[in-house]
Amino acid sequence: MKIIIRCILDKIFTAITWLTVFVIVILLLLILGPILSRGTNAVVFRDTIEFRKMQMALLNRGNETNLTAEISEIAPVRQKVYDTINKFKSGIDTDALTEQVRKIYRDCGQELSYKKLTPQQYTETRSLLKDIRDRLQTAFASTDKVQIAKCTSFVMGYADDERFKGTSAGDFFRIAADFQKAVEKIDFAKHLQYVQAVGEMEDLLTQLLGPRPGEALPATAMNQFGATRWDLAEKLMDNLLWKEQWVSQKSGKSLVKIRTERAKEFAGTEIEPLFGYIKDNLEKMLKPQWRFYWQYFIDDSTPGHYFGGIGPEILGTLLLTLLSMVFVIPLGIISAAYLTECTTDNFVVKIIRMCINSLAGVPSIIFGLFGLAFFVLFLLPFLGFSSKPCILTASLTLSILTLPVMIRSSEEAIKAVPLTYKEASLALGASNFKTFMSVTLPAAMPGILTGVILSISRVAGETAPILFTGAVALGPVPSSIFHSTRTLSYGSYDMAVGDRLAAMVPHNQYGMVATLVILVLCLNTSAIILRSRLFKKLHGH
Amino acid sequence: MKKLIVCGLIMLSLVSVTKLIAADKALQIEGSTTVGPIADAFTEAFNKTYPDIKITVTKNGSGNGAAALIDKRCDIAMMSRFMKLEEFTAAVDKGVMPVAHTIALDGVCMIVHPSNPVTDLSTQQIHDIYIGKIKNWKELGGPDMPIVVVSRDTSSGTYETFDHFIMKKVKMDAGVEYVSSNPQVHARVKTTPGAIGYVGIGFLDAEVKGLKVNGIMPSKETITNGTYSLSRPLFLFTNGFPELGSLSYNFCTFYLSEKGQEIINAKGFVPVTHY
Amino acid sequence: MNDSQINQVLSPTADVKHQPLVLSYGQGLGNFLSLYVGRTILFLITCTSVLSVLLIFFFIIRESLPFLQKFNLTEFLTNTGWYPQAEKPQFGALALIVGSFYVTAAALLFAVPTGILAAVFLSDIVSFKIQTFVKPVIELLAAIPSVAYGFFAIMVLAPWMQRKLGFTTGVNALNASFVLAVMALPTIVSVAQDSISAVGRELREASYGLGATRMETVFKVVIPAAHSGIIAAIILGMMRAIGETMVVWMASGNASQIPHPWWDLSQSIRTMTATIAGDMGETAKGSDHYRSLFTIGLLLLIMTLCLNLLSEYFLTQAAKKSGIRK
Repeated sequence: MKIIIRCILDKIFTAITWLTVFVIVILLLLILGPILSRGTNAVVFRDTIEFRKMQMALLNRGNETNLTAEISEIAPVRQKVYDTINKFKSGIDTDALTEQVRKIYRDCGQELSYKKLTPQQYTETRSLLKDIRDRLQTAFASTDKVQIAKCTSFVMGYADDERFKGTSAGDFFRIAADFQKAVEKIDFAKHLQYVQAVGEMEDLLTQLLGPRPGEALPATAMNQFGATRWDLAEKLMDNLLWKEQWVSQKSGKSLVKIRTERAKEFAGTEIEPLFGYIKDNLEKMLKPQWRFYWQYFIDDSTPGHYFGGIGPEILGTLLLTLLSMVFVIPLGIISAAYLTECTTDNFVVKIIRMCINSLAGVPSIIFGLFGLAFFVLFLLPFLGFSSKPCILTASLTLSILTLPVMIRSSEEAIKAVPLTYKEASLALGASNFKTFMSVTLPAAMPGILTGVILSISRVAGETAPILFTGAVALGPVPSSIFHSTRTLSYGSYDMAVGDRLAAMVPHNQYGMVATLVILVLCLNTSAIILRSRLFKKLHGH
Repeated sequence: MKKLIVCGLIMLSLVSVTKLIAADKALQIEGSTTVGPIADAFTEAFNKTYPDIKITVTKNGSGNGAAALIDKRCDIAMMSRFMKLEEFTAAVDKGVMPVAHTIALDGVCMIVHPSNPVTDLSTQQIHDIYIGKIKNWKELGGPDMPIVVVSRDTSSGTYETFDHFIMKKVKMDAGVEYVSSNPQVHARVKTTPGAIGYVGIGFLDAEVKGLKVNGIMPSKETITNGTYSLSRPLFLFTNGFPELGSLSYNFCTFYLSEKGQEIINAKGFVPVTHY
Repeated sequence: MNDSQINQVLSPTADVKHQPLVLSYGQGLGNFLSLYVGRTILFLITCTSVLSVLLIFFFIIRESLPFLQKFNLTEFLTNTGWYPQAEKPQFGALALIVGSFYVTAAALLFAVPTGILAAVFLSDIVSFKIQTFVKPVIELLAAIPSVAYGFFAIMVLAPWMQRKLGFTTGVNALNASFVLAVMALPTIVSVAQDSISAVGRELREASYGLGATRMETVFKVVIPAAHSGIIAAIILGMMRAIGETMVVWMASGNASQIPHPWWDLSQSIRTMTATIAGDMGETAKGSDHYRSLFTIGLLLLIMTLCLNLLSEYFLTQAAKKSGIRK
């Protein structure tokens, strides 16, 4: 009886250990799964014509004739949307009209100053212009039809005035006439509501399709193009069709999100059927295509990584890694050689070993502090350079961080070389140095290489030590080692928490971190394979 | 063979390193994370006109910007507050004459999750939330939900403005979460139903809900005419007034141009001039 | 390639053949000198690591000393108010120290049982074949950069916790310590497995011979015999957790408070490493705040070094034991 219980307990225990390891493997998959799958999305996705426009405009990449053909193909489909909105909007969007009138006034004033007028004429005309502008503005701001009519008819009274011939003041009268007509037609109670709703709709349309043709290009690249990816376009389309609102259901309780159809806001107007039209013709307006965007790994990005790739980050990571390897490989191998070949376990060596172990245990952020205090604030000014975090300081800091890894693995590799190899060489009269260089080192090379690869992967992934010693989130591609650089690791951090634009482009967030993870994992896997081969070679037969 | 590869690698890296040592003309900009986005966008627009000039924007807080200007480590310091007296004296002692360029106005807005029914708070109520006296939205007419208080870290310019207007040097409660940038406050509040935080007006959008302070909604108008109390100017500081026509001069006066103002508007700040 | 080189050396080639068998006096002196000069140079290069450790200590102490002179150390260690930027700045690091230990302890709570069970699994339960599959998986867990863990914590885990577990905030002590546990796991597993495997076969066989089941053997014989190594594994895992920066900075919420009630893991906390990383970026160089961060760094450095020495002590103990048995 008791034996049965013991056996069952034993089985349960075995099952639990299996479960534990299973959980660990699942954890690995859970962590890597979302990062890798969503990261792939940055490289393989359905692009839209806006993406191709962006590539052409920013990087001069793609086939220009094809693109022009495509643009002219989609233009009529889009134009219908714009025309409908324009027709609806004329006369109701008073904010835009006010803005327009101010601009006309400015332009017109400038034109007047070029005309040959006596100072008195100039002042008179100018004040008249100002009067016209102010009256129009009053009309736009008013909700009283009578007042509006009074203002506009005042303005129209000057329509044939000689003084304004050949200036942009003609636009004043056109606007006044249009407005007067629109006011008579529109249900003024709903006027402001329409203005707001159409404004929202236009904003979304600009996000979806980019600025209208002929419109002045916005200053920043991110506003110059519409949805560059089909998944983004679908999201925006959803926003366009459905309006999200937070409404209160009971006082003192949280608001609840409800979705209402945006078309309902425009019930009975010519805008209402437009939503169906946009939905049906979205593919025609954006022309989605599958794309393998391998240039993601070499392209520079616009601020916030809104467009473009992670080229500078990869370059920065490579530079940091290479430079720190230049420092750490010789140091590591020589230290390991000294520790294994030249000394016995005396007091000094014990201290050295203790220091190496301590160095391995120092938290990475401490290396960051040390790098800041020593390399940036002490060594650079001491050597006559400006005290600025840069690639050099970052890689020096990283090389100290990874020194113990390098020493330990080289030491193991050298120790693993069978004594017989060495004895044979020494017996043939080769000196210690010669034996080491031509027998031990080549035999230990795969093991040392494993160490190098592990160091590289450590260096590439570290963030804390370079926070204050040379990494920046945004900056030009470095042209010297005295410049700071972007790196994959710091970029991943910044994309996750520091940048609001990045939150709008989740594929880029995940793409960056996925690249880092893949890079590091590939390095590690190759190290593991190399080590197992070496193990087989030295102990296999 | 393997030795050759390793040697080759080392040689290659050395070559690339020596090639990289040549420095070129560059503009160093350092400082406030609030001004950062403006400087980024200015840089972007600038690089179109001057493609071969390297502009580095480091967003590490107003204090560091000032320190970097004083140590002549940067050409332009971005600051979301004016220089403190001690910074000024330190600068003058080192032969640096800080000159301020007011490039935009910014309002510090209180933000909450969009599901929060509270719309209006008084300065006193905000103060009480941040010192931990009010711990639940229930006390403010909201749902029964603990308040998650989010603040910028204490060395940021935004914190100093907030401290100046609301906290009046009273210490915040220990339970306040500190995050290190404006976008992070935005992200925390956006995802946390019980959260309250403060950000620059540029970060106010549909994903979070801005609160009225003392009955006044932060907007471009209320900030420009001074009715909204939590507003401040944003500065660029240079060492002396930049030489006319120089790169720094062009950068510091870029906000006066139509394009510059458009950028400031697009980033959600309030331009100082009306064209 | 290597073999051929070795063969080359081993085979009697021309330059070996003509080597004189007796060295002249000059050659002997030359060899002697080159040997010793070479060795000294090698020794000096090897001392870089020693120098690094000394420099780290020197510079961290140098930057924190003015702070320690100006402010009271006891207050630094016992006060919970961390208001470095206030008009009358207060530098009480207790909440940060407690925070560090808090997440570390919680992480170990997850990681130690899992790690030891996995180590037992690898050494006592499965065949060599499965071992060669599972070990790399655990090594890969160690290889993932900490910022990727942090990314996972803040982008995937935090929203999930808020949605599914109903926490008021997704970035909290539980989130940070869970991810730290995953990060500390590989260290614990590999060190513990080494020491468990080192327990001699004869001990296990004796136990089985007395009729013990595998579970009894593991718990009553193997683990007690390997306890020094397991303790070392736990300490090393602890070091990994306490020194980790990116994950706690991104996932712990950064509120400098001591959780109340103490077992409530759903609250935000702030650790020493996160404070350094978060505050240093925006602190003016040379200010009291800047120096206080170095003081925290010094504290952290001393703590990890003590832990390191402790783990080395246990590892030597473990090595001695297995040596005796062999």
